[in-house]
Amino acid sequence: MSSLASASRDAARFDLARTEGRGLADTLRTFAVAARLGWQLEANWTDPFLFFIYSVAKPISSALILVVMLEVIGGPAGRAFRPFVVVGSALWSFVVSGIAGLAWSILEDRERYRVLKYVYISPSDFLIVLIGRGVARLGVGLAGVVITLVVGVVALGVPFEPAAVDWPLLLAASLLGLGSIIGLGLLMAGIVIQTRQESWSYPEAFAGALFLVTGAVFPLTVLPAPVQAIGLLTPLTWWIAGVREALFPGGPGSIGGDGSLFASVFGHANPGHAEIVGALLATGVVVTLAAVAVFRLSDRRAKSAGLYDQTTGS
Amino acid sequence: MAASLDLVGRSGTGPREAADWSRRQVILTDLRSVRGRAYPRVIGLMREPSWVLFEILLPFLATSAYVFVYRALDAPQEYVGFVVLGGALTAFWLNVIWMMANQLYWEKSQGNLELYFAAPMHFMSILFGMALGGMVMSSTRAATVLVIAGAIYGVTFSVDQWALLLGVFVLTLGALYGLGMVLASLFLVWGREAWHMGQLMTEPVYFVSGLNFPVARLGMLGALSVAFVPLATGLDAMRQLAFADAAFPAGTPPPAVEVLILAAMTVISIVAARWMLIAMERRARRDGRLSVRWQ
Repeated sequence: MSSLASASRDAARFDLARTEGRGLADTLRTFAVAARLGWQLEANWTDPFLFFIYSVAKPISSALILVVMLEVIGGPAGRAFRPFVVVGSALWSFVVSGIAGLAWSILEDRERYRVLKYVYISPSDFLIVLIGRGVARLGVGLAGVVITLVVGVVALGVPFEPAAVDWPLLLAASLLGLGSIIGLGLLMAGIVIQTRQESWSYPEAFAGALFLVTGAVFPLTVLPAPVQAIGLLTPLTWWIAGVREALFPGGPGSIGGDGSLFASVFGHANPGHAEIVGALLATGVVVTLAAVAVFRLSDRRAKSAGLYDQTTGS
Repeated sequence: MAASLDLVGRSGTGPREAADWSRRQVILTDLRSVRGRAYPRVIGLMREPSWVLFEILLPFLATSAYVFVYRALDAPQEYVGFVVLGGALTAFWLNVIWMMANQLYWEKSQGNLELYFAAPMHFMSILFGMALGGMVMSSTRAATVLVIAGAIYGVTFSVDQWALLLGVFVLTLGALYGLGMVLASLFLVWGREAWHMGQLMTEPVYFVSGLNFPVARLGMLGALSVAFVPLATGLDAMRQLAFADAAFPAGTPPPAVEVLILAAMTVISIVAARWMLIAMERRARRDGRLSVRWQ
């Protein structure tokens, strides 16, 4: 009798250590499972050929629109700017994938599959789950970037010299840019937690607005100075400039130039590699920290207002 | 129960009599259905403040980016006008793809589709209601882009034939939303692929429609687009009419011919939508997939 009582007492005892989990190991496992789930939701059920077409059609079409615009106005003279617009539009598809990935994960789970509340109360860190889910779309976006660049080189006559590529700059800009894109995606996820089902188009709208100020497809110099300033405070501007400079060293840049805000503030026409990486790091850190803060605030408000348990519809 | 029967004006002595509706009752119920389905889209304009930012202001900035591409190239001012007009029309195309073509699949996922089929109305009423609400919703965004961008970027429209321009606009909406009705049934059959198809029909269609440049520059591809893609036909006709003074690359038909193409597209798409709806319903009932979600 006494041993039975003792066993019952042991079973009822709350083991605090178990609630703490296994730290990093749990985080990594959560991330891996979320990334796998994201990929399965996104792609593994679909017709591979259709999925491939869909993944590359969008960035290639965006690049073609710009190439035709160059041809219409610049004719053969406009071809010098082809690398500029091809790189910009290819990278932009990655931005859209990154920003939309996290936000759409919220919307899918809340509105379509209606499991967000269950995911939220699971022992996994919600933030890690979201980032893991977004990684699948980033992967699709990355494939779009690579294929668009290949199409640009092979079909659109973009001159590319692998030996001329500045690999350290490319690596640094890519890693820091990736962090910034995930930060912006987190910001968007924090926003769509508060909004309703119609928010599907919000990430693309947000990315579209950034498209204006980041020099993705035209140099910032043509913008009014205050808008150029906003662009210079955006990490994506520096990321695109860094990748562009790394892939096509010495080509037309998006940040500096005669009459640009950058030139008037810093006293030289174009940013150097160290300036690009330094600015990308600084703006990226600020944006990521701000995004985490906004997400946490949104999370708190969503819990108090019961938004995780609410589906909308129209 | 008796009160509700009276409300819809079909009281009877039994279920058989109650089910025997006059033509007037059928038409009124269908019209109510149209209004009921359009209602959330129209009223949603006023109930979601974030919509103003995300559906109007930010897309306007995206349109502005293409304006600055032309400015960076020192393009003639009418090209800026082309971009603004194209940016305004994208509101309708996005609405057609995401809120018409994808909608029935969404409704199925949310459990509404079987209710629509069970309700005593023609399903075309739902499609017309979605289209009507979508037109109102998108018109506000399109008008805002046109007005704001027109003012900021100094776009000057040169219109000689206002009546024809209005006619082209109305027919373009008819053809676009008619296509949306056709796609709604198709996307429902395609199931989860609908999402990818929606993505596939955005930028590629912008390209073949000559969203930011005269579609005639695409040669044979442009000609095919004018013949088969309502966005391309409507946009080209509107550009010819709204920028009558602009030097236009030759290669596309005059607006009067494009009006005929748009009218044909409208009629064909609405008839096709009705036929596809019947076929889709028959197939869905046969396969028992009307209420199966997420597939």
